[in-house]
Amino acid sequence: MEEQPREAPGPQEYSEDGVDLTMIRWMLSLTPAQRLDALQGFVSSVLEIRAQNAGL
Amino acid sequence: MPASDFLAILRTLNEYGVEFIVVGGVGAVLQGAPISTFDLDVVHSRSIENAGRLLAALRALDAYYRIQPERRLRPSASHLVSAGHQLLMTCYGPLDLLGMIGHSHGYESLAVDAIQVEAGAGVHIQVLGLERLIAVKTETAGEKDLAALPILRKTLEEQKKRRSKPLL
Repeated sequence: MEEQPREAPGPQEYSEDGVDLTMIRWMLSLTPAQRLDALQGFVSSVLEIRAQNAGL
Repeated sequence: MPASDFLAILRTLNEYGVEFIVVGGVGAVLQGAPISTFDLDVVHSRSIENAGRLLAALRALDAYYRIQPERRLRPSASHLVSAGHQLLMTCYGPLDLLGMIGHSHGYESLAVDAIQVEAGAGVHIQVLGLERLIAVKTETAGEKDLAALPILRKTLEEQKKRRSKPLL
């Protein structure tokens, strides 16, 4: 069986306990105001979807 | 549920001169943790003066207790000077006012580990630093906190790595 080429060592995507480090790095690249905006966008979307499916 | 607007709640608290520290999920997000939350948790100063300012802000926010929304029960000054938790609904979404968190940490004790943050549109607030937030959550971790703690710890690690990187 042919040996597969090893990937060059780079930044990890997940920590050993399964935390997505790419999301943390993305959030840390934003300003606090942009981070709050991202959360606000998420919450607003979920509430909107909930309202549209109120009968479920 | 009313449309949620964290920034509008924070701005209103500031406009009325309320002394408070943002803790919980929103505090963690402001410091870079990729978690989600639907309510805003704040620890407020329980001085008589601050309770008065907070009451005025809560009137402007049309705040009432979430437990029996149909009764529209509103907090009084005596509730706000207590160590208890006031779980409220406002015209801008849920707001939890926490007299104390963890093993009896109040505003004065937490203020030493708070950082100043601009939350947007010129609204400057105090947020409990991530290291102390992790310590407090670890003290009394419920199921929700246990799920979030690994993410908060990794965020703190990544923050520290970034700060220690030499500027090129």
